[in-house]
Amino acid sequence: MGDPWNENIYSLIQQPAQQQQKQPRHFSKFKSSMRDEVTKTKAEYKTMGPAKVQTRPPNEFLKKHEKEPKLPEKMKFKYPNEERRKPPVPKRDEQPILGLKTNKNFITQNAIENIMAVPKKPEKNYADTRKGDKHPLEPSGLEPKFVHKKDFGKTPGYLERRKAELQRAQDEYNSYIAEHFRRGAMKQLNEDEREDILNGLKSNWELLHHEYQGLSVVTDTAPKKNRKERMEAEMKQLERDIESIEKHKIIYIAN
Amino acid sequence: MSNILLDEAPLLELETMIGFGGDVKEGLKVHPDKQFIIYPVGCTVVIEDISSKSQEFFSGHTNNVSCITVSRSGKYVASGQVTHPGFKADMYLWDFYERCAVFHFKPMHHNKVEALAISPSDMYLVSLGGQDDGSVCVWNIGTGDAICGAPAQVMSAGCTRTIAYFNHSDDKFVTGGDNTLRVWDLDVGARKVKPTEVNVGQIKRNINCIEVDSEDAFFYCGTTTGDIMMVNTKSNNFQKHGPTKERFSLGVTALCLLKTGDFLVGSGCGDVQIVNEKFKPTTKKQKVEGAVTSIALRGSGHQFFVGTSKCNIYRFDFAEFTQKLITTCHHHMVNDIVFPHNSSDLVITCSSEDIRIWNTNDCKELLRIVQPNKTCNALAIMKDGASIITGWDDGKIRAFSPESGSLLYIVEHSYGASTTALATTTDNKRIVSGTNLGHVVVWDVPDPMYLRTLKKGSTVNVTKHDLLKEHKAQVTCIKINMNDTECVTSSIDGSCIIWDLLGLKRKMMIRVNTLFQYTCYGPDDYHIITTGTDRKIGYWEISDGSMIREVEGSLSGSVNCMDISGHTFVSGGDDKLVKLWNYDQGTVQYIGKGHSAAITGVKIAPSGPYDSKPKFIISVSKDGAILKWRFPDMNVDY
Repeated sequence: MGDPWNENIYSLIQQPAQQQQKQPRHFSKFKSSMRDEVTKTKAEYKTMGPAKVQTRPPNEFLKKHEKEPKLPEKMKFKYPNEERRKPPVPKRDEQPILGLKTNKNFITQNAIENIMAVPKKPEKNYADTRKGDKHPLEPSGLEPKFVHKKDFGKTPGYLERRKAELQRAQDEYNSYIAEHFRRGAMKQLNEDEREDILNGLKSNWELLHHEYQGLSVVTDTAPKKNRKERMEAEMKQLERDIESIEKHKIIYIAN
Repeated sequence: MSNILLDEAPLLELETMIGFGGDVKEGLKVHPDKQFIIYPVGCTVVIEDISSKSQEFFSGHTNNVSCITVSRSGKYVASGQVTHPGFKADMYLWDFYERCAVFHFKPMHHNKVEALAISPSDMYLVSLGGQDDGSVCVWNIGTGDAICGAPAQVMSAGCTRTIAYFNHSDDKFVTGGDNTLRVWDLDVGARKVKPTEVNVGQIKRNINCIEVDSEDAFFYCGTTTGDIMMVNTKSNNFQKHGPTKERFSLGVTALCLLKTGDFLVGSGCGDVQIVNEKFKPTTKKQKVEGAVTSIALRGSGHQFFVGTSKCNIYRFDFAEFTQKLITTCHHHMVNDIVFPHNSSDLVITCSSEDIRIWNTNDCKELLRIVQPNKTCNALAIMKDGASIITGWDDGKIRAFSPESGSLLYIVEHSYGASTTALATTTDNKRIVSGTNLGHVVVWDVPDPMYLRTLKKGSTVNVTKHDLLKEHKAQVTCIKINMNDTECVTSSIDGSCIIWDLLGLKRKMMIRVNTLFQYTCYGPDDYHIITTGTDRKIGYWEISDGSMIREVEGSLSGSVNCMDISGHTFVSGGDDKLVKLWNYDQGTVQYIGKGHSAAITGVKIAPSGPYDSKPKFIISVSKDGAILKWRFPDMNVDY
C-alpha cells in the first residue's frame, strides 16, 4: 500500500469486471474439403479387385530414365544486352590496325558547314538589372502565350452576335407570321389534316396503280394508249403532290 | 397527530441481512440437501443458499434465538429462544420446504431453550431448558403436543448444556452438561422418559457437545477440559478419553464425527483440527478467529462450515484442509453507519473494537480497522473520501486512511471521557465532535499537503480547536448544514442547540423534556427534525426555534436514529421497526420488519446523479446485524 495520505475511499469501489467478448467459434475453411477427402479416400482399398486401367502394350515397355523429367535443350549463353555491348578487348596476339589515314579536308568541310548553316535564332531573354543580368523570357510569364489567352478555345464574339441576330430575325419572322394568322390571312394545316391528305393521296395513288397494273399487256389501240398515258400522268402528279406535302411540315393555305 | 397505522402501512422488502449469531452453540447448520446453510441472526433464522447467497427468513421469535436443529430428513427445522427472566421461552417448528411455521409450541421452558434435537424418523422433538429451567421435554412432532418431561439432571449436578439423539432409535437420546451425562429411554406409551446415569468413574468433566456414532455403539463428548470422552452405549460405561497430553485450550466446543472414524474438533481458542480414532491430534489444523461454536458438515464432510463466536463463518475444504471466510459481521452492537459522500456502493459501520467497510452490492467486507479493547461510538467521513474519522470511548478521535486503514492523525483529548458524536464540514477542513459530558468541539484538521511531508508512519496529534460548552450531558448527534455555516447538536440533557460555525456561538436552542437521540436537517435546511426517548418526532423552525409539528414516531421505545433524503425520511428505534416517512405529510409510508434488536442506525443510500430515487436503506441494530432494505417506489419528489 502506498502513501496513506493519497488514499481515497472511492477507489475501494469495485469496478465491474470487463466482460470478455467471446470470439466466434473457429471453423476451418478446409472443413468441407477435408471431410470430402476423408470420406472419398476412406477404405479405398475395399474394392472388388484391382482398378481396371489400360496397360501398356508389351512392346512399349518401360525404358531406362523414362520417368525422369525431361530437361529442355541446352542453349548457348547470351547476354541480354548483347547488341549494346562493347566489342571485346583485343586478344593478346591480335595486331592493332596501323597506317589508317583520313583523306577528309577538315578546313573546307568546316567552311562548307558554316556557310550552309542556318543562323541561330537569338535567345529570348530579358534583363532585370542595369548590369544586364539576363533570364530566359519564356518561363518568366512576360511573353504572351496564345493558349493562355482569355478567350482561348471559346467561340468568337462575332459568331455569337451573328447567331443571336439570326435567332432574332427568325423570332421576328415567326411573330410576323403569327400576327398574320391572327389576322386570318393564312390558315395553317394542322398535323391531322396533313396526315389525312397524305393518306388520301397515297390511297389514290394505290388505286390508280392497281388499275394501271390491271391494264392489258399490249397497247395496240389509240384509246388504250391514251388511257395509259393519262394514268401515268395522274400518278406522276400524285407522286409530286405526296412528295411536296411530305417535304414540308408546315403548310399554309392562302386565301 | 398520531397516524401510525402499523397494520396498514405496506412492508419494506428486506434484500439482504449481514449477520450471524455466532454465540449460539451449534447454531450453524447445513441442510441435508447440501444446498442451504441455516443460522440464527438475532431473533430470525436465516436460510441461505450456499451458491447464490440468497436468503430467506424464518421470523416469529420475540427474542434472540438460542438453539437450532434440523431433522435428518431435512423437512423440519426447530428453533428455541431466550426470553426475559421469569417468562417461558418460545419454541418453533418450521417446515423447511414450505418455508412456514408448523407449530408454535406451548412455552414450557423458563427463560431459555438450551438445546433441541429431532428424532431420526422425525417423530419426536426433545427440548432442553436452560439454567433456570433444568428440564427435558419430549414433543410429538405430528401433533405438536408435549409427551412428557423430566428434570434434566440430578440436583447435585450443574447445568445440562447439550442434547443428542441416537441415529437409529427414536426413543434414545443423550444429554450432557456440567458433571452430568445421561442416556434417556423414551417410553411413549407410558409417557415417561427414564434417565440412566453414565458411569464416568473417577474423572470429572463438563460436557460441551455430544456426537453419537453411526452404529449407535458409542458416543463421544467434547469437554471443557479440552478432551474427548468415549462412552459405550450398551453398558453406559465410560470407555476412554483423549488426547491426554496436549488438550485443546479453552475446551472442545464443537465436535464432529467423520465417516473415517476421525473427529473434527473445534476448540474455544479457535483451533479446528482433525483428531484420529485414538484421540491423537493430527497435523491437519487451522486457526480461526474466535471460539468455534459450530461445525457443520456438508454431506459426508468433503466440505464443512465453521461458525465462531466472533460471528464469522468459514468454509473448509476437507481434502486440503484450507479455510475461507465466507460470512462475517459485527459481533457487538453496531454504533454508527455512514455512506461515503454520493456513493451507495460502500458503507462504513463501526462497532466495538472495529470499523468495517462493506461493499453494499455483494455485502462483502472490504476492510476492517481493528482497535482492541475500545469501542467506536461515532463515525464520519470526509467529503473527499480521503479519511475516515472515528470517535472512541477512550475520548479520542482517530482518523484512518480508507484503503490501508492506517492511522493518519489523532485527537488525544477531545474533552470528556468518550467521543459520542462526529460530523465533518464539506471543505474537509474541520471536524465537529461531541462528548459524553456535553462538550462540542470544532477541530481544525491539519492540511494534507503538510502531512504528506511528514515521515511515513508518524501520526499527528491534532490540538487546534474551539470549544463550545453549553450542553450539560452527552451529545448524541451533530449535523452540519449544507454550506457549513451552522450545525445542530442534540443532547440527552433535553436540548438541541443550533451553533453558528463562523462566529462559533450559539444561535438557537430548543428545550424539551426528553433525551434527544437524533436530529436531522429538513429539506433545504429550514427545519430540523428531532427524536428522542419520548417517542416523538418533532419538526422545528431554525430561525426562531419554534415547534412546527410533532408526530408519534413509535408506539413503544425511543426513536434512535433517522436519515433524510429529499422529502422522505426513515427512522429506527427500540421498537425494532424501520419506518419510512413522508416528510411533508408526517405519515408512515412503509414499515420494515426484520430487526431482532433495537435499531441503532439507519441511513438512506445516497442516490447518484442518474437515479430517480435512492436504491436502498441500510439499518443496523444492537445485535450486530446489518439489514439492507429495497427502497420502495413512491410518488414523491426526492
